[in-house]
Amino acid sequence: MMAYKTCSTLLAVSCLALAAATPVAQAQTADAGAYLATVHKHHLVTSTVPANGDQNPYAMVVAPVTAGVVQKDDLLVDNFNNRGNLQGTGSTIIDYRPSTGQTSLFATIPHNLPGCPGGVGLSTAMVMLKSGWVIVGSAPSTDGTTKTLGPGCLIVLDATGKVAGTIAGPEIADPWGNMAWIDNGGTATLFVSNAGFGIGAPGQPVQNSATVLRIGLSIPAGKPPQVTSKTVIGSGFSAQADASVFLIGPTGLTLGKDGTLYVSDAIGNRVVAIPDAAARTDSAATGTLVSKDGLLNRPLAMDMAPNGHLLVVNGLNGQVVEIDPVTGKQLGAQWIDADEAQTPPGSGDLFGLVVNPTGKGFYYVEDDVNTVVQAQ
Amino acid sequence: MSGEKLNAPSRRSFFGVAGGLAGGVAGAMVTRAQASPILPQDMSEAAEPFYGAHQAGITTPMQDSLYFASFDLAATSRQDVVALLQTWTAAAARLTAGLPAEPGMQDDNEPPLDSGEAMGLKASRLTITFGFGPDIFTLDGKDRYGLATKRPSALVDLPVFNGDQLVDGQCGGALCVQACANDPQVAFHAVRQLARLSYGAATLKWVQSGFATANKTQGTPRNLMGFKDGTMNPAGAAMEDAVWAGPEGPAWMQGGSYMVARRIRIALEHWDRMRVAFQEQTFGRQKASGAPLGGKAEFDAPDFNATDASGNYVIPETSHMRLAAPANNGGAQILRRSYSYNDGANFVAERWPPWHQGIEYDSGLFFQAYQKDPRTGFITIFDKMSKIDALNQFTTHVGSAIFACPPGVRKGGYIGQALFETA
Repeated sequence: MMAYKTCSTLLAVSCLALAAATPVAQAQTADAGAYLATVHKHHLVTSTVPANGDQNPYAMVVAPVTAGVVQKDDLLVDNFNNRGNLQGTGSTIIDYRPSTGQTSLFATIPHNLPGCPGGVGLSTAMVMLKSGWVIVGSAPSTDGTTKTLGPGCLIVLDATGKVAGTIAGPEIADPWGNMAWIDNGGTATLFVSNAGFGIGAPGQPVQNSATVLRIGLSIPAGKPPQVTSKTVIGSGFSAQADASVFLIGPTGLTLGKDGTLYVSDAIGNRVVAIPDAAARTDSAATGTLVSKDGLLNRPLAMDMAPNGHLLVVNGLNGQVVEIDPVTGKQLGAQWIDADEAQTPPGSGDLFGLVVNPTGKGFYYVEDDVNTVVQAQ
Repeated sequence: MSGEKLNAPSRRSFFGVAGGLAGGVAGAMVTRAQASPILPQDMSEAAEPFYGAHQAGITTPMQDSLYFASFDLAATSRQDVVALLQTWTAAAARLTAGLPAEPGMQDDNEPPLDSGEAMGLKASRLTITFGFGPDIFTLDGKDRYGLATKRPSALVDLPVFNGDQLVDGQCGGALCVQACANDPQVAFHAVRQLARLSYGAATLKWVQSGFATANKTQGTPRNLMGFKDGTMNPAGAAMEDAVWAGPEGPAWMQGGSYMVARRIRIALEHWDRMRVAFQEQTFGRQKASGAPLGGKAEFDAPDFNATDASGNYVIPETSHMRLAAPANNGGAQILRRSYSYNDGANFVAERWPPWHQGIEYDSGLFFQAYQKDPRTGFITIFDKMSKIDALNQFTTHVGSAIFACPPGVRKGGYIGQALFETA
């Protein structure tokens, strides 16, 4: 990443001009109590490009356990594009090991995977469970656009990166956003956004057909997870095919301690809440509004900071925004990718974000240079 | 032809103008170094020595103009390849001395001994550098000339690098001829003559012209992005050690060098919209002085550990200079000898956000790196750069080639002779 001066959005224009003289990273947030006010240092930790040339890192997960070839606290990152930079065709997951600073290839998934209609293009949906199983979403294309969009699936991998199964069906259409989950070891619950229902080719109007699906899993010892239930708990979210960024839809999912699921609605430019997400038996439609517009500029991946605030990255600039989910107040933003090669700086560069459970800040991808950066 | 004396009329006398080339000037140019002061006018038009332990045009101070040609071989026998190289050697010796390509008196009923467009022009520090590409050793699995076992292990097929968008018509080849001169017409003339003399034995595969400021500006030349290009080039003994192949490889390449050539298209229109401060962050250097960020002068040692008050690096982690520095590549060194190019304008779709599309300059850098072993030189350095260099947002590699440039020619010999005549 470039070492830029980072600023609150309200100061962005003047701050970027100042960066010419002093290219330093400095968090300046609107509220002194904000988590982002403690984040100053941005350090590139790895390239995400594996030997096969896959591009465009999307999902990130920090390993909760040591299993197979993965060590606890490793960072798994998947790729959405292939070497030719065609979206919806990436098939690899890399493993960055903070303890050694080394990066290796964790998995290469066959493009023609039985049980995954349309092929493989790894999305922002990924989790590693305590049992060692890795589950990753596919929102596949064959030509880099949604003209050839298939419904995709969730792919189950063992802890050595081998495909162990798939999860598909009529409720699943291009599992897209970063997952939220509850992991009890022998059982687990996944929350997945499905953005592909009826979006068609680029140029089509917005479809209000995206869902949030809760998937119950049973995980017998030594055996792959088995689906025990599928429940639509959110529906009517906006999604649209896009010539530049493939598709736009609900992208960030994160679970609050009280069981509320927060969803970033990229087209609605807002964050909403679905209460009682783990237990409800019906759809909350598009939930209740938490925060809208302001510093948000096409919110994408989202996670929860140690202080309980939401961190959500913008798709149309290089900022991460901090929101108090209780009050809905936007506490500030930090320009974590101020790459001026894009206008506005960082536009289109951010996607995946994950808070490091070890307490060492958060990781985010920079799609402009195919890297992962650690912010502390 | 290989043993002839260079006593034929010069191009100037051939053209009917009195006066020949000052042989003594050529002798004054035997000391080759990469960085050079501005040469006086008479020196800039002088002749570079053709014969020597090493080929000219590698560590020779850069000239103004480049004309590069890659050839396929049509020759069906080893003898025909040798004959071609003998012909080329003789012609190159004459051309670099400012003479017409072929000796003798013109018979008007025959095609010209020299196409003539360089008549009246001086040698202009012309150098002609030859290289052998992988295709001379084997082509489609066939060992056409009994050379397969002599291919140096260092002459690797370049790996596919991240972001490569290579165009078939701008890659590879069996032979290369590189002419550099202080006059573009002299450079083109030289390649044109050699191509003409290769009819039946070799065919043009692709060409590239280029230009540089090295001969006219003080210090390190600037590329089309406006930055100095080659500041980190090794010098002196370090350069000798980095560039010339030694006993670690086959004897026929000792004293030679491996050339990696990359045609790098630059999105100049995109670059021109960037603030200077951002450009400097991208390169890791100040634009005007060439100093590393945090430094004051071009050749200040970069402080890669320097951080600001927040702990972020003063020289960004994805900056071009940080990634290219020997200190960050296990000491890997290459000699950069690159020329800018400008081939008009055509349609392009940039590969980075915001994905500009339209008619843009087909301009950039014909990058050249010389080294004793590309595996520990260019490949080592560029693998990481190809993935995370912030400059990649403005550059795309569209052409690629590697050639083994054999050692220099002794009088009476021909280029690459040891390759063909050793057991």
